[in-house]
Amino acid sequence: MVVDFLSYSLIPLFSALAIPFIARKNKRLIELLSNVTLLSGLLNLSYILLSYLIKNNYETFTMDVYSFSMIFTIYLVGLSITFFSTHYGIENDTNPTSYYPLILIGVSAMSSIVIAQDIFTLYIFVEALSVVSFALITSDNSHTSIEASIKYFFLTFPASVLIIFGISILLLNHPNLDFSTIKDTSSKFLTIIALSMITVGFLIKSGIVPFHFWTPDVYQGAYSPISALLAGIITKIGGVYAIIKIGILISNSQLNYFISKILLLSGILSVLIGAFLAMIQKDFKRMLAYSSISQMGYIILAVATFTPLGIIAAVFHLINHATFKTVLFLNSACVEKQTGTTNILELKGLEHRMPTTAWTSIIAMMATAGIPPLSGFWSKLLIIVALWKNGNIYYAIIALIASIITLAYFMILQKKVFFGKLPEKFDGVKEAKFQLLIPVVVISGIIIFSGLFFDRVYSYLSRIV
Amino acid sequence: MNEIQNLILIPIILPLTAGVLTLMVRERTKYLKEFIAISTTLVSLFSSLTALKYVNSIGDINYECDWLGSFSLMQFRVDQLSAFILLSVSLFSFLISIYSISVKNKGNSKIFYFLLLLTQFQAAGVAVSDNLISMLFFWESMVIVLYLYIYISASTNSTRTTALKAFLINGVSDLALLIGIMILGYISNTFVMSEISKSKLIVSGWATIAYILLLTGTLTKAGAFPFHTWIPDAALNSNAAFMAYIPASIDKLLGIYFLTRITVFLYTLNHTMQLIVMGVGAITIIVAVMMAFIQTDYKRLLSYHAISQTGYMILGVGTLNPIGIAGGLFHMVNNAIYKSCLFMTSGAVERQTDTNNLEKLGGLFSKMPITAICFIISAAAISGIPPLNGFFSKELVYKGSLLTGYTIFFIAAEIGSIFTLASFLKLGHTVFFDKPSSSIENVKEAPLSMLIPMIILCILCIIFGFGAHFPIRHFISPSLISLGYISEELSGFHTDNLFLVALSVILIALTNHIFGYQRTNRAYKASDHIHHAPILKDIYEMAEKGYFDLYEIFKKIFRTFANFLFKIDRVFDSIIDYIPSNSSYKISETFSSVHSGVYSLYMFFIFSFAIIFVIYLGGIKW
Repeated sequence: MVVDFLSYSLIPLFSALAIPFIARKNKRLIELLSNVTLLSGLLNLSYILLSYLIKNNYETFTMDVYSFSMIFTIYLVGLSITFFSTHYGIENDTNPTSYYPLILIGVSAMSSIVIAQDIFTLYIFVEALSVVSFALITSDNSHTSIEASIKYFFLTFPASVLIIFGISILLLNHPNLDFSTIKDTSSKFLTIIALSMITVGFLIKSGIVPFHFWTPDVYQGAYSPISALLAGIITKIGGVYAIIKIGILISNSQLNYFISKILLLSGILSVLIGAFLAMIQKDFKRMLAYSSISQMGYIILAVATFTPLGIIAAVFHLINHATFKTVLFLNSACVEKQTGTTNILELKGLEHRMPTTAWTSIIAMMATAGIPPLSGFWSKLLIIVALWKNGNIYYAIIALIASIITLAYFMILQKKVFFGKLPEKFDGVKEAKFQLLIPVVVISGIIIFSGLFFDRVYSYLSRIV
Repeated sequence: MNEIQNLILIPIILPLTAGVLTLMVRERTKYLKEFIAISTTLVSLFSSLTALKYVNSIGDINYECDWLGSFSLMQFRVDQLSAFILLSVSLFSFLISIYSISVKNKGNSKIFYFLLLLTQFQAAGVAVSDNLISMLFFWESMVIVLYLYIYISASTNSTRTTALKAFLINGVSDLALLIGIMILGYISNTFVMSEISKSKLIVSGWATIAYILLLTGTLTKAGAFPFHTWIPDAALNSNAAFMAYIPASIDKLLGIYFLTRITVFLYTLNHTMQLIVMGVGAITIIVAVMMAFIQTDYKRLLSYHAISQTGYMILGVGTLNPIGIAGGLFHMVNNAIYKSCLFMTSGAVERQTDTNNLEKLGGLFSKMPITAICFIISAAAISGIPPLNGFFSKELVYKGSLLTGYTIFFIAAEIGSIFTLASFLKLGHTVFFDKPSSSIENVKEAPLSMLIPMIILCILCIIFGFGAHFPIRHFISPSLISLGYISEELSGFHTDNLFLVALSVILIALTNHIFGYQRTNRAYKASDHIHHAPILKDIYEMAEKGYFDLYEIFKKIFRTFANFLFKIDRVFDSIIDYIPSNSSYKISETFSSVHSGVYSLYMFFIFSFAIIFVIYLGGIKW
């Protein structure tokens, strides 16, 4: 474990353990404790990050850039969810005494994942995260959320099986499961089998074709703020993070070729299938789920190149996508709360009544589609350039064409849901409470600014490799 | 820039700024716009007069200015011919700005005066430009002015159609001018007219094409056959101030100026081309005057005469000897004078009696005596009655055409004269002397602002007639010198054969008119015996319907072509719309049928693909 970041993992854990004892019945105290924990962590992290970004001088930056960025993203998304849940009115649906601690444990588990230095520790915390997420998905005890949780469990336990099998096989060769030893001896046959099983396991966990079947049902069925957490960070840290880590490790082994082929194939299929299926969806959240599949495909495509540019592109797209999906899912939660439906066929003309929700959603959608000068444009550009430079020209072209389809379905969504004439039944709809909008606006601001100041961000991220 | 250069810049820049100023003036001020226009054009007039004196005595005025980078310089060079044209342009702007104070149907007067000052700016720019591209810039911008003048005068459909017709015909001529100038610039490596004229071009190869294009362009602008069809329509649909200004004077001045430049200054024409030019002139004379003869609308009749007189100018310039060219130039300015005056009388009559129809007009001599006298003097001038100015310029044109050796042109010009006089006898008799019809009763004399320009122009007619040596010595001979010709003795009363021919022309026309009048006893029907003559009747009917109108013919052709292109565009449109969206929807629906939510299906997929992937990744060695 990287000792620098240990506190980021332990403090939410302690808060989570403290809440049932200290603040069992006092809802205000629970909210205060959880929000302040995450907020303090975020302020600390953003202070460090911004000071380096503004100075643009990384001589003294001794921490691992990848872990640092991941922890920053985890805290950002986590804080958004807790802050959102505070004002969303979760006490009607669930028990805050269990809800907030579960989120805090989730944050702690994710932080531990990203600071793990050997694969078994990584696996333990991934499992912890999964358990927490099973519970969180069913927060509001509705039929759809219980079905979603069951599907999530049953469709991702093969992943856990594969990963633990892979780790066991690794033990045959390396009694010490450190990442550095894996890197050194990664050309032996057993290591290759083990790493391939681990990769496939994490592919299942991140929702890549052909293992993506759980994604739409789970995202749609989960409790709305939790689907934001799920899509925003859990599937990323619990899935794609490890693949990128393995990618950084095995850059020069003969495993490269096969894994690269598989990852390219899965990636491009995810991009296409996610995009095509998203076009005909009638439910807002399900469409966002398919869009997630598509964007995860882009990340996997970038990792598949195993070049420094590809890794940087993958990490940047991961962070970006975390922000986009958080904004979109939180906004869909707002819309659902105000209008009572997430059916695209019924929603219309919401921009007149809910302007902030509408415009932040539009910014996030345009960023996902890759429109300059937002940050999504840069990350997509990096991915396509990395693919092209690596020689996978056809993949680059197909990815580029698929972004037209991305643009298409997001345009349809924007036009249908937010613009147009407001039907009479939505006349009484008001804008969501302004506290619900604060996290969304802040993250939209991050999207815009990291797009505008991309050169700073890039000089920061290029230190990953 | 020194004061001398200011002299030629004032008639250009001052009207432009004054025009913009006019636009900013509030609509409600009574006479501010007119005051601005009159004072500006008066200043331009004085400035161009001084410039002419300078150029005639001392030398050319030059001015150069960088414009559009190095692509084209705004080069102004005023030699004697340009100074002469500049003076005429400024004079007519001044007179029309006085005249249009009282014209009622000129449209929004703010825009009208802006257009008037803008026209002065553009016409002055054309007159002084040495660089062909800057000249084109000024001349092409007149197209918009032309359109707007007609458009604002009324808001009926026919007005808009006519405005569009004028715009299109002049726009096509601009295109011809542009291509011609480009070719000309390419083959002579320079766009500056004075440099091209140092080694004149011979009509062969590309130069021929350039000349034909330029000829087409300038003849369209001047209003010759067969591009004249917008002028009679404009006469019906717009006001007399516009007609007196642009088709009567400015168009002719600029068109014949450029015709002179290209025919004499820049090229040495060979025989065929000269015949073509003179032929166009002759055809214009005959066709237009035959059409004019039968008209029953005051302004329309006058407009056909304007087209016909253009033929004289073209014929004169095309003779390529100094007498003919002098005749052409002199006729140009004379025509401007008496044609404007005639249009002004028509405007006065229209204002006072509210009608243009010859059937209804009559007997206005007693009620509008000054207008009638101006009409009589201008009509006599246009018919070539000695000793007015028209006689002298026509005599020069006749002499010049005889000197070429082809008598057919001379005969055509004489026939034109006959019919000109006959139609003006008919017109004058009808409007001013015949019995009045019942619809016009309380008619008073036209207001002073209309009378003053008419009187000035009539005085000019008389001066240029009796003292014909004055304009010839000061305007025409210097222009000829600048073109490279030495002038001979050009004026004066010559009692030779031509004088007899002129007298016989007058007698024939009088006889014709009296014959026609006796047949029907009403003056406006005095032309009916020609109108209903056997072959001519059908030709006239076809002409009135527009069969000979090039513009109408082209409109029909373009309509079918546009329809055809539209059909092709629909095909492409449906391909691009239909195919991508439908195919992607089909793909989406196919995929989505697999994602049915059935857990066991999902599990099967996960297990099978996991096994396949692991085998592929790990142990492909079998």
